Amino acid sequence: MIVCKDLVLGYDKNPITPKFNLTIEDNQWIGIIGKNGAGKSTFLKSVLGVLPTISGELSILGDYAGLNNKQISYIPQEREINLADRMSGYSLVMSSYNGWLLGLPFISKKLRSQVDELINLVGASGYAHQPFVTLSGGQKKRIYLAQALINKPKLLLLDEPLADLDPHAKQHFIEALQKIHEHQNLGLMIISHDMHEIACHLDAFIHFSGNGVHYCATIECVKEDSYVGI
Amino acid sequence: MQNALICGAVISIVCGIVSVFVVLRRTGFAAHALGHMSLTGAAGAALLGLPSFFGQIILNTIASIVMGLMGEKVKKNDQAIGVVLTFVLGLGTYFLFLFQNNYAGSVMGILLGNIFAVSNTQIYQLIGIGISVVVIMAIIARPLIFTTLDPVVAGSKGVSGKLLSVIFFVLLACTVSMACQIVGVLLVFVLLIIPGAIGTQWGESIYSIIGFSVVSALFSVVTAIFVSYHFDLPVSFCITMILCMAYFVGVCYRFFISKK
Repeated sequence: MIVCKDLVLGYDKNPITPKFNLTIEDNQWIGIIGKNGAGKSTFLKSVLGVLPTISGELSILGDYAGLNNKQISYIPQEREINLADRMSGYSLVMSSYNGWLLGLPFISKKLRSQVDELINLVGASGYAHQPFVTLSGGQKKRIYLAQALINKPKLLLLDEPLADLDPHAKQHFIEALQKIHEHQNLGLMIISHDMHEIACHLDAFIHFSGNGVHYCATIECVKEDSYVGI
Repeated sequence: MQNALICGAVISIVCGIVSVFVVLRRTGFAAHALGHMSLTGAAGAALLGLPSFFGQIILNTIASIVMGLMGEKVKKNDQAIGVVLTFVLGLGTYFLFLFQNNYAGSVMGILLGNIFAVSNTQIYQLIGIGISVVVIMAIIARPLIFTTLDPVVAGSKGVSGKLLSVIFFVLLACTVSMACQIVGVLLVFVLLIIPGAIGTQWGESIYSIIGFSVVSALFSVVTAIFVSYHFDLPVSFCITMILCMAYFVGVCYRFFISKK
């Protein structure tokens, strides 16, 4: 469960949202909507504890933000991947397994079968062993999904995963999300400017606007904002 | 010769492992700077009548902690590293000027290395430092690999990129100080970049990349020691030529064969 109490978000003591209260139940699939600069990505970074909040309380899965990150997986909008030319997406997924523990990474048969299962789930089995640098943007995004799931998170945060994807790749990515929704027991928060394409798979929405931050159980209440375009 | 082979084997194994992370973390310039700073450390120590290795490791460790604290910024901060490197090298040149008046022959030893002059005490030091570097690398392997390959996501999982960066740079400083014994400060870069680069040309997983890197470093150093011993050539020159040729073979293979 995520609980925001009198929460104000911002950067360097400069607030970008008014004070707001929210409660998000476990395993809900939430779409985060709002104009650029409204505080959507800031919210995800605050949930991770990477960015401190200006004021108020933010509780994630029963603890303060930043203390439960092992149970949260994050797919950022932009990232730097330093894989060698011949390394595959499969290697990236493997390297993320319990990546915070000390010692040498040990690749057991059980881990291999878990990774294979996830690769199948996101529909990336056809190219998971190909060099990562040769993959298209959409293929890389599905590898990132498998990577995000390898540590069995309770909450998945996706920041603009559909950006820069062509319609075909978007469709494949949404199908992968749908399969995850069917097979995995986890909550999800997704920021997207293409919310109309994914809205039918979501349980509720959080709307960041000039008037505040609102929780909407249905799409209807966010339709008033012409920007949302559902 | 026996001492040179033991010393070469230890240094090349450590360099083979560390250079993979230098290449993947794109910290080549920082590694290069540490190598050159060794000159000042060695010359300063010699002026004070201390072993040059002692000066190298002290100065490199201080510089490596500063670089490590820069975290991810170290890749983008070429200017800052460049300015500090120039300042330290300037000091080194002055130390060398003072030092040269007394021990002209030793200056070449610092610049180009002299593996055949390694004493038993130095070998024990190198083995001790080498084992420590490898053991610490093994302990931090998992988070180091994670932050190296995907720093943003590793940070979101609570893995401290800055702490790992400091530890890695201190290990790198120890490795640079060791490698200077063989190839000298001018060519220390070769053992910290090319084995890792060869590893990334052939390896498909982190373990295989490290394997190729260690084998190429070990092969080049051992072969160079034999060639140098029998044909009276500088060891650093032989290592550089062997590693550059091996890298070139990889480039040609990818260009002409794997594209078919």
